[in-house]
Amino acid sequence: MSDKDNMTDNGTNTETSAAAKADAKAAPGAASGAAPGAAPKNGGDHIKIVKNATCTFCGCVCDDMDLTVDLKEKRITKAKNACVLGRAWFAEHTIEDRPAALIDGREASVEEAVEEAARILLEARYPITYGLSDSTCEAQRVAVAISDIVKGSVDTTTSVCHGPSGIAFQGVGETTSTLGEVKNRADLVIYWGGNPAESHPRHFTRYAVTPKGMHIPNGKKDRTVVLVDVRKTPSAPVSDIFIQVKPGRDFELLWTLRALVNGKKITADVEELTGVARETLDDLVARMKSCSYGVLFFGMGLTMTRGRHFNSGAVLALAADLNQYAPFVAKPVRGHGNVTGADNVVSWQTGYPFGVNFNRGFPRFNPGEFTTVDVLARGEADAALVIATDPASNFPKKAIETLRRIPVISLDTKPTETSRLARVAFSVATYGINTGGTVYRMDDVPITLRPAFESPYPGDEEILTAIRDKILALRPPRQDAAADRAAP
Amino acid sequence: MALELTLHTQPEVPLEAECITPQRVAGLAAPEVERLDAMHGNRRVKLGDFFSAAGKGANDIVLNGDLSLVKLIGAQMAQGSIVIEGAVGMHVGWGMSGGQITVRGDAHDWVGPEMSGGRIVVHGDAGHLVGSAYRGQASGICGGEILVHGSVRNETGGAMRRGLIAVGGDAGDFTGVNMIAGTIVVLGNLGIRSGAGMKRGSIVSMNPAPLLPTYQYACSYRPLFLKLCLQHLRGLGFAVEERHINGRWRRWSGDSLELNKGEILLFQR
Repeated sequence: MSDKDNMTDNGTNTETSAAAKADAKAAPGAASGAAPGAAPKNGGDHIKIVKNATCTFCGCVCDDMDLTVDLKEKRITKAKNACVLGRAWFAEHTIEDRPAALIDGREASVEEAVEEAARILLEARYPITYGLSDSTCEAQRVAVAISDIVKGSVDTTTSVCHGPSGIAFQGVGETTSTLGEVKNRADLVIYWGGNPAESHPRHFTRYAVTPKGMHIPNGKKDRTVVLVDVRKTPSAPVSDIFIQVKPGRDFELLWTLRALVNGKKITADVEELTGVARETLDDLVARMKSCSYGVLFFGMGLTMTRGRHFNSGAVLALAADLNQYAPFVAKPVRGHGNVTGADNVVSWQTGYPFGVNFNRGFPRFNPGEFTTVDVLARGEADAALVIATDPASNFPKKAIETLRRIPVISLDTKPTETSRLARVAFSVATYGINTGGTVYRMDDVPITLRPAFESPYPGDEEILTAIRDKILALRPPRQDAAADRAAP
Repeated sequence: MALELTLHTQPEVPLEAECITPQRVAGLAAPEVERLDAMHGNRRVKLGDFFSAAGKGANDIVLNGDLSLVKLIGAQMAQGSIVIEGAVGMHVGWGMSGGQITVRGDAHDWVGPEMSGGRIVVHGDAGHLVGSAYRGQASGICGGEILVHGSVRNETGGAMRRGLIAVGGDAGDFTGVNMIAGTIVVLGNLGIRSGAGMKRGSIVSMNPAPLLPTYQYACSYRPLFLKLCLQHLRGLGFAVEERHINGRWRRWSGDSLELNKGEILLFQR
C-alpha cells in the first residue's frame, strides 16, 4: 500500500499504518486484535484490524476490505483494497458529538422520540416510508412491517434510480447471473448509460474487466469491452469500443440492435436517428452473436432518461434475443450499498419491489401512484418516515414543500436537509461500520457485514424495532379489516 | 331523476370512492348513499363525510366539486351515466363494462383501466396511461371507447386489446406501446416511439410523426374503416375535417420486432 492509501491527514497515520502492517504480519488471517509486540508508542492495544470487512458505499459491496481501526479515536484509519469512494466512506464515518434524538430541533431521549414517531405514524392517514437503500436487510424488514401495521406506503430509493428496471423485469423478464459468472465467463462486456470508473471504481477490476476467470485466463486481454454513452466519460479509456449515442436516443439504438440481431430489415437512416454509424452497429451485432458469454451492464443513463422503463425493457429484451446465439445476461449496475437488498426485502415481504401501498391492509403496487416522489409532489402524504436518505436535498421543489408541511421522522448517520426539517430526527450508527447485518450486492448475492467499531448511537434496526413495538402498544383495537379490503 | 353528489369537504389525502357507481347507489335514498363506505387514505369513512347527496340513487349520477383527489369513480360500472362537473382523480372508470362517464374537467392518470365496454368522455386533458395496462398485466382495455378532447401524456393505450381511444389534442411518448389490437386516433401530434412493440392494431394521426426504425413504409391509400371511424368521431364532437375523411393516408407497418401486423396511419393529403 502506498502512502496515498492512508486516509487520515494527521501526523500519526504513518505510524498507525506501520503498526497495522506489523499486526497483519504477526497474525496473518486474524479477524481482529493487535499483536502486543507490534504496538506503536502511543499504545497499540486500541488498534484493531478487521479482515475481509465489507464496504457498503456502492452496489459493488466489496467484501475484501482490511480495515485498520483506531478504537480510541473511534475511526477507521486505513482501508486496504478500498477504492477512492470506499476510502472516503470509511474515513468520513467517525463518531460525531450530536444528540441521539431531536424532537422539533430540541434534544430528547430516544424513548421520547420513539414514542413521538409512533404517535405520528399512527395518527397519519397516508404515512409513507422512504429510503432504506443504505440500511441493512434486517432494518428494511422492520420498516416494511411498520408500513404494513400503520397502513401506509413503503418505497425505496429504487424508485428514483433503477425503479424503471423493476417495472421492466416484471414486463419483459430478466436474464441474469451473478458477478462471479461474469468474472469467470464473460468475454464481451457492454456498459450502457453508466460511468463505473467514477461511480463503481472496482467494478472493472473486481468483477467484469480485468480479473482473470475460469474461462478468461488472461483477464482483460480475453475480453472485449464496449461502452455506450452520450459522452466520453473517464470509463471510455477502459473500453475497446466506445459508441457515442445521441442524447435521448438509447431506445432507438437498442431497438435497432434488436432488429439487427433478429434479422429484421432496417431502411431508416439509423445514423441520423441515433448518431451511430450502421457499420459500427453491424460490427457490434456480429460481436454479440459470436461471443461465448456476453453481459450488458446498464446504468441510470438508461433508466432515468426519456423512456425509462422502456429503455431498461429494451436492454433486457436485447439480452433475451441474444440467447439464440450465445449465453447473454443483462444486469443493472446498482448505486447504493444495499439498494438491491431493499428490492429483495420489499419483494419477499410484499410481493413487489418498491412503490407498495398498504392503505387497504394488503399490498398494492403502482409506480407513479405510490412512489414517494409522486406522492410528495402531489402533496398526498401526511407523514413520512425517512430512513438513510435525504429527499429534502434532491427531490423536486414541490415534493420538498410537502416534506416541510408534514411531520417527518428521519433516521440518518449525519445531519441532512431532511433531518433538519424533521419533526423527529434520530442519529443512528452506520451500517457496515458500526452495525452488522446483511446486505445484497448488485447481483442479488447476500453478504454479511463485519462492523469495525461500536457507535454510541443505536442502529436503524434498533430504532425501527422500538418504533414498531411502540406502535403495536399504542395501536387502538383492530377495526373491521375485512371491510377495507372489499374493493380493489 | 339523477343522484347529485356535491363535494363539501376536500379530502386531505386520496379518497378511494369506488362506491360512486350506478349499480351501487341504485334504489338508495340520499341519506343511505351518504352512509356508503369509502377509504380516506387508510381510514374507512362514510361518503357523507365528504359528499352531500341530493335526489335518489338512480342510473344517473352528477358529481360537483374538484374531485382530483377522488379515485376510482365509476369503478366496475355496467350501466347508466356519471357526469363529473370538474376534474377527477386516478382510475376513473376502472373495470367499466357499460354506460358513460363524462368528465367536464381534466382527468388524472389511468383513465379507464381494465375497461371492457362503455364510454368515457374527458373534455379536458388526461394524464398518463389512458386505457393502458396496469404494471405487470398482459393487456390494457379490451373494449369500449375513451374520448379525450384535450391532450394526453405518455403510454396511451399501452397493451390495449380492443376498443377505441381518441385524442383531440397531442399525445405523449409511447402511444400504443405493446398494443395487441384496437384503434388509437390522435388529432394532434404523436410523441416519439409510438407503437413500440405493437403486435396488431391501428394508430392514426393527422400530423407527421417520428417513427421507430422497426416501422416500414407500406403504401398510401384511403382505408375505408378510417372513413367510418373518423365520421363517428366527428359525430361525437371531434374536430375532424372533411379532407381527413376523404384523404389519403400513408401506412407504416410494424413493429417488425413483434408480429408486424400493426399499422401507423399518417395523414398524407
